[in-house]
Amino acid sequence: MVSLSPIPSSIFRPSLRAAAGAGLVAVLAALTPAKAGDPTSKTLGFAVTTFNTAMYESRFMDECPQGINATNDEFWWRGLSKEERGRLTNNGDMTQIARQHIANHRGPNGEDICQVPTAVKDPPLYTVRGKLAYGMKLDGTDDGKDTPKSCKHEKFTGVDGTPAIDNQLYRVLGCVYGWRSIGHIETAANGHRQTNGLGMILIEVSGVDDARNDDDVTISFYRSVDTFTFGASASPLPYSTYRIDYDGEKPRYGDSIKGKIVDGVLKTTVPGDVKLPFYANQSFQTMQLMDTQIELKINADGSAADGVIGGYYSTQQLWEYIGEQGWQPTGLYTCPGIYAAIQKLADGHKDPKTGECTSISSAFKIKTVAGFIKHRDGGDKPNKIAQAQ
Amino acid sequence: MSILLKRPAPRRDVLRGMLGGAAVSVGLPFLDCFLNANGTAQASGAPIPVRFGTWYWGCGHTPGHDVAAKAATGKGIKFLEECAPLQAYESHINYFGGFNTPLDGKSNYVHHSGWVASRTGTAPANTGEVPAPTLDVLIADAKGSGTRFRVLDINSMGNPRITYSARSTYARATAEAAPLSFYSRIFGPDFVDPNKADFKPDPALMVRKSVLSAVLDESKRFQGVVGAADKQRLDEYFTSIRQLEGQLDLQLQKPAPNQACVPMTFDGIAGSNDELAGQSFAQVEAVAESHKVMMQILTMALACNQTNMFNVVYSDAFSGLRRKGDANNHHTLTHEEETDPKLGYQPMAFWFNCQNMLGAAAFLEAFTKFKEGDGTLLDNCLVFANSESSYARYHGVNNLPMFTFGKAGGRIKTGYHVVGNGDPCTRVGFTAMRVMGLPVDRWGTKSLETSKPITEIMT
Amino acid sequence: MLKSSLKGRMGMVGLAAVMVLAGCSEQNPAKPAKVASSSSATLVAYAAPVESDVVAMRRLTSEQYQSIISNVFGPRVKIVGKFDQLVRINGLFAVGAAKVNMSPAGFEQFEIAARAVAAQVVDPKNRALTMPCVPASPKAFDEACAQRFFSQAGRFLFRRPLTDEELKTRMDIAAAGTAAAGDFYAGVESGLSSLLMTPAFLFINEAVEPDPAVQGQKRLTAYSKASRLSFLLWNTAPDDELLTAAATGALHSEKGLAKQVDRMIASRQLEGGVRAFFTDMLGFDKFDTLEKDSVLFPVYNAAVSLDAKEQLLRMIVEQLVVADGDYRDLFTMRKTYISDSLARIYRVAAPKPGAWGEYTYPENSPYTGIQSTFAFTALHSHAGRSSPTIRGKAIRELLLCQRVPDPPANVNFAQFNAEHSEFKTARQRLEAHSTSPSCSGCHKLVDPIGLALENFDGAGQYRTSENGTPLDTSGKLDGIEYKDAPGLALALHNNNAITGCVVNRLSSYALGRPQTKDEKAWLTTLGERFAASGYRLTALLRDIANDKAFYAVPPAEQQVTQNVQ
Repeated sequence: MVSLSPIPSSIFRPSLRAAAGAGLVAVLAALTPAKAGDPTSKTLGFAVTTFNTAMYESRFMDECPQGINATNDEFWWRGLSKEERGRLTNNGDMTQIARQHIANHRGPNGEDICQVPTAVKDPPLYTVRGKLAYGMKLDGTDDGKDTPKSCKHEKFTGVDGTPAIDNQLYRVLGCVYGWRSIGHIETAANGHRQTNGLGMILIEVSGVDDARNDDDVTISFYRSVDTFTFGASASPLPYSTYRIDYDGEKPRYGDSIKGKIVDGVLKTTVPGDVKLPFYANQSFQTMQLMDTQIELKINADGSAADGVIGGYYSTQQLWEYIGEQGWQPTGLYTCPGIYAAIQKLADGHKDPKTGECTSISSAFKIKTVAGFIKHRDGGDKPNKIAQAQ
Repeated sequence: MSILLKRPAPRRDVLRGMLGGAAVSVGLPFLDCFLNANGTAQASGAPIPVRFGTWYWGCGHTPGHDVAAKAATGKGIKFLEECAPLQAYESHINYFGGFNTPLDGKSNYVHHSGWVASRTGTAPANTGEVPAPTLDVLIADAKGSGTRFRVLDINSMGNPRITYSARSTYARATAEAAPLSFYSRIFGPDFVDPNKADFKPDPALMVRKSVLSAVLDESKRFQGVVGAADKQRLDEYFTSIRQLEGQLDLQLQKPAPNQACVPMTFDGIAGSNDELAGQSFAQVEAVAESHKVMMQILTMALACNQTNMFNVVYSDAFSGLRRKGDANNHHTLTHEEETDPKLGYQPMAFWFNCQNMLGAAAFLEAFTKFKEGDGTLLDNCLVFANSESSYARYHGVNNLPMFTFGKAGGRIKTGYHVVGNGDPCTRVGFTAMRVMGLPVDRWGTKSLETSKPITEIMT
Repeated sequence: MLKSSLKGRMGMVGLAAVMVLAGCSEQNPAKPAKVASSSSATLVAYAAPVESDVVAMRRLTSEQYQSIISNVFGPRVKIVGKFDQLVRINGLFAVGAAKVNMSPAGFEQFEIAARAVAAQVVDPKNRALTMPCVPASPKAFDEACAQRFFSQAGRFLFRRPLTDEELKTRMDIAAAGTAAAGDFYAGVESGLSSLLMTPAFLFINEAVEPDPAVQGQKRLTAYSKASRLSFLLWNTAPDDELLTAAATGALHSEKGLAKQVDRMIASRQLEGGVRAFFTDMLGFDKFDTLEKDSVLFPVYNAAVSLDAKEQLLRMIVEQLVVADGDYRDLFTMRKTYISDSLARIYRVAAPKPGAWGEYTYPENSPYTGIQSTFAFTALHSHAGRSSPTIRGKAIRELLLCQRVPDPPANVNFAQFNAEHSEFKTARQRLEAHSTSPSCSGCHKLVDPIGLALENFDGAGQYRTSENGTPLDTSGKLDGIEYKDAPGLALALHNNNAITGCVVNRLSSYALGRPQTKDEKAWLTTLGERFAASGYRLTALLRDIANDKAFYAVPPAEQQVTQNVQ
């Protein structure tokens, strides 16, 4: 039997190793073309490759002391008599997927409990009890107290130690199997996003004088009509060109917030409301993220940036996303429990009339690759081509 | 000869054909040297031919870590760590150590002079020059062709341009470099299965033959109007047409049943992989994989009498073998890597040398696994395996590593370590020619000339 | 303008269309003799072509094969099979083509290609375009139609009219084939495949005849002249007009020749010729086996390789054909063409996503001149890293026509990898080499050139450091010092050898052989006139194409074994 012998990599001296990626920081700076009329200002472009609800998952699942939530199938199953189980499931031979339709319609009058989440009253959702989370301080308070704009809620400490983080969306979904890293709701969505170009978010940082430190930049969000190109390792390649999606004369998306760059980390200085093209499995929505903040760490060679985008997510929109997904059976969650938890834990945009909060603090982890964002010639920003640094 | 065209008497009266399924008989020269000396035969009674092949690897060995030196020629080869994979095949091979490559004042053209001198018997006068035909060409010429393909050239690195077989500087072989196209060339629609009960000559082949015949006749008129050099080129062209005609003839006659010939589908070949098709690569694993697949095709092609001659390149003379993710390839490492003081050699370059020997072992595995007659396919082959450098780090051409694989149908002893005592390396190639029955009494030029076969290993 | 010239450069003709152009559109084929001549007044000129002395035989390249087939039968007809490799002599395949032999495996491929082409030509889907006539019955042999097809197609394939005997051979094959298969088209298919296997098609044969102007001297036949001209300017076989000019003897007159040269240089097909020349001169066959490490250079893939070759050729066509500009400016030009895959390599926004777009690098950009493109920097690199030595050698040999000696074999490499040495950059590694007298001679010739391009890594991507150490890209070319790639660009632009080299290569390419000693004066004259034209390649081409020296009978057997690559 012939086989390859092990490679003596440890005795291979480092100087003989390639350093293909080394020294790119300087590279990009040097490459910056001087722009007519604006010789100093530059633009950075990034295309979002993955977009995930920011879940902090500790090694021993300490954040979920009650455990992971039961699934809709389980609730349905529990609610049946022995005879009903036999009758409805072909004496137990029917698979979970096959019986999902019946399970979804477990309302007292056969209601689809994702369409009418109040039709049944499930036990309260197990929500996150941990102290750490990803996200931003959105409400301006240190303790999450009730304010004219926000509802009282418990604060998290950031995973990096930042105090007073608001992320009630994590509190709701953190113990739901489908959203955790082993669930596949968002993994599948990211796969679709990459292969089909669905909901491709572009982040353009303009007015950049220094790509590593700049106290005043503008961060804009667009949707791309171009998809990713993949390299040999099947990951999206940096430095592709992405054309912005236009609706008539204007970009379909294009909201901006103000920010700064500190030691290569892009941060928000003035939060604002932004619309994002948001793809979740099989459905697409325009995500309204209010009081949005972003924190993106640009890697040393400028070819990628990873971080978190946070803001208040309209509960109505959130429910549209979760309730109308149709992923309840395979995503392993239960609509009534999540619905009730959202209502209970919503913490933003208090309705002055009802005193109820209509949005929920949220955070999403994003990964990006650098790219060139191309505005349409004659569009809102004539002749402007985003340059990665 | 053509049944389609009414033409004057053919050149080769031995070839006859009729359309429409009638008997087609073709008499072709079948030299004795094709047959193995033991007179063993296939189960069908057909004699087993003896095949000749070459196997090439680049950048040589790591001296002191390849094969233990020996005082005198004798049975027994002590393989050291680099050649350890060959140990299992000791009884099938011979190793030749201590043979030199005198260049007679010509430069040592790096990674070129070594293979040219050892395979043509003449040192080249510049890089790229192949001053005489390589020994495989000489053997092929002497043997003529009784097979569908005169020779099969194979490159395991996906590069059809790299071969170490040439008639001259201007006639370098082009290799099969992609497993799928190699497979298709041999076992594609034109393949005639010898064990198929209902043989019917394909009328389309007769048409093709007629066309070739007409082209040959017409082209001959060029002979009288070209200069000497072009005349020789035209001769090559005519030879090529005749070779193809012979190929078609063989396909028009019912082959003798041959139980060893059991062609597989491409997908049925272990490790077959479309990704290896049509691209150049030098990554060690891909080369090993491609070689493994192509050796399965080659062994079956030999068993099916598709050819009796082959040349295999495992890695090139400027060995481009490389590991994924490393900036340096085998060749650059031989020059730029530090010698490990404890080991006494360049560890990574050594590792690549080992990969080449693993490739040689894979070749031997494929040929010994293949049963033929009473023994293995390798028993009926003579394979000359060598490299262009002894120690690539210094471009050494003395003590060039050389092997022969196989018993040539009983004409050569195996398991020997032959000590050259500084004799020219051409003695090994010359011995191979004699073993293959070539009536030559000397080979090579200047200091590379030899008239002494290594009789110790000849039966 | 460029756009149109880049599109469909081989303009689909198709034999049926050719017939119309040739004035042979009559429905009822005339008598064989007249059809064979294909246009009037040709019988004199092509008397017994194969009996003339053939003084050179250059094997067709696969590109020439393809373009001839496309021109005669339309681009839908594709070539299959891989042809035997050619050998470079004097840096050119075009010269090696006159020496290369035909191996059995190589002929096998030509036979496969011939049959595949013939099958496509008679394919019912293509017949309307490829066949000039329809047989009276598809099942029976139609002599008139077959004759018309073979004489007309044969004239383009052989670059001269077929002799009566050659025509008769095809007719015999086709008749027998029709009878055997009961199919006219099957017969034509066999006859056509036989045309494509002969030396008259596979080799560009140069024949001589007695020169009526000088007693006892010989001259190239008019058809051989036509082929020379056509393969030089268009890299394909002569078209109808050129063949007619050969047939009438017009090509033997200065005026008649100049008319054809003017016409051909003004043609869109000139681009094909210019591309073919530079593909040969710049060694683009290396692209066929180009490999880059996928871990170190994930951005590299097959599309990059294809596009990189195309990018450089577009730059050349833009500068030398479209703009009809100075050859030297190729090495300093900043205008280029970029595709999506190249935009990622060069890290610029794709100027026209999804297509090729024009792009001009800013003035301070390191990307200056064709030698800074991927097709140069990455092509002349290792799979895993750059190589100043390989790049410097490429510039010396390909662009300056200077031969860099082979490396000595007996170098003690131990001194370059002494223990504990930590070479961070290629310069440090190479400086160690230069301490050895046996190495320094050649390394001094090439390294300072290649080091100026070290800002481009093994995959042509810009960088300013290697292994964390900033790169020093200063160097020297023939006494001119510079500090970076744009500096090298200027040095190349101003180097006399750069223009001398293209004159040397182009004239050798045109002749299909290395120049003889006697032709040195001609080269000097060509060089002077090239300079006077403002180094315009079209002027050089016109000069060569109109020059008597270009049509001189080649000398007998030359010693050309040197410089074989």
